[in-house]
Amino acid sequence: MEDEREESEINLTPMLDVVFIMLIFFIVTAVFVREPGVDVDRPVAQTATDPGGGSIFIAITANDEIWIDRREIDIPGAKSQIERLSSENPEAGIIIQADSESRNEVLIAVMDAAKEAGVADITIAAGE
Amino acid sequence: MARKHIASIKVETEENEINLTPMLDVVFIMLIFFIVTATFIRETSIEANRPDQQESVPVVQEDGAILIIIDNNDDIWMNGLIIDDRAVRPNIQRLHAENPDRPVVIQAEPNSSAETLVTVMDASRQADVYNISITAGG
Repeated sequence: MEDEREESEINLTPMLDVVFIMLIFFIVTAVFVREPGVDVDRPVAQTATDPGGGSIFIAITANDEIWIDRREIDIPGAKSQIERLSSENPEAGIIIQADSESRNEVLIAVMDAAKEAGVADITIAAGE
Repeated sequence: MARKHIASIKVETEENEINLTPMLDVVFIMLIFFIVTATFIRETSIEANRPDQQESVPVVQEDGAILIIIDNNDDIWMNGLIIDDRAVRPNIQRLHAENPDRPVVIQAEPNSSAETLVTVMDASRQADVYNISITAGG
């Protein structure tokens, strides 16, 4: 009788192993994506693809304001912000979410800032 | 006396078995937290090259590049003519067929809109030219 009861106690060790491995997986893959914090009306492109991997998002609104990490910044400040985010996640590319109405002068200035900050992988967000 | 000693040892070893339940609770809560916060943001986008300042002038003047100019009124210029945005793709396709190695260089004037730029980039990619550079207009 006592023997049976001991048998029925579940051995938790394998489950613990699995849970720990899942935990470590999710901690390692947790890329804390910093969203720019504004909604933009993205231009449409049929050939838009998913770049994959972690990304630094930079939004340009219709009024040509630049938003990074939930803060509005000016063009001279963009480079240091991109450098900071890039040092936190060196493999991340940059996705520029430019509003359809935004001016290309700002877009090119942001691309230059990204290049000066040492990020070569620059893409422009577009809906499909 | 000896018996009592043995009994006390047995009790001690049983006490030594660690109760895993609280740790399991904590681990599960951490697991759920990380699953929930794992934000898989999916954003589709188009690759864009920005040539170095030193390079940009030769690239534009280079005979090999297909130059497309977007002016401040969002008109698209190719070979000295204003063309419709739907005509961009066939034009690039034709030039691409003549010489498949030619990259596309888009010169965007400061006041042109991002929508036109992305339209031209999309047209170029549909015409199988994925090497797209963007330069600032004067």
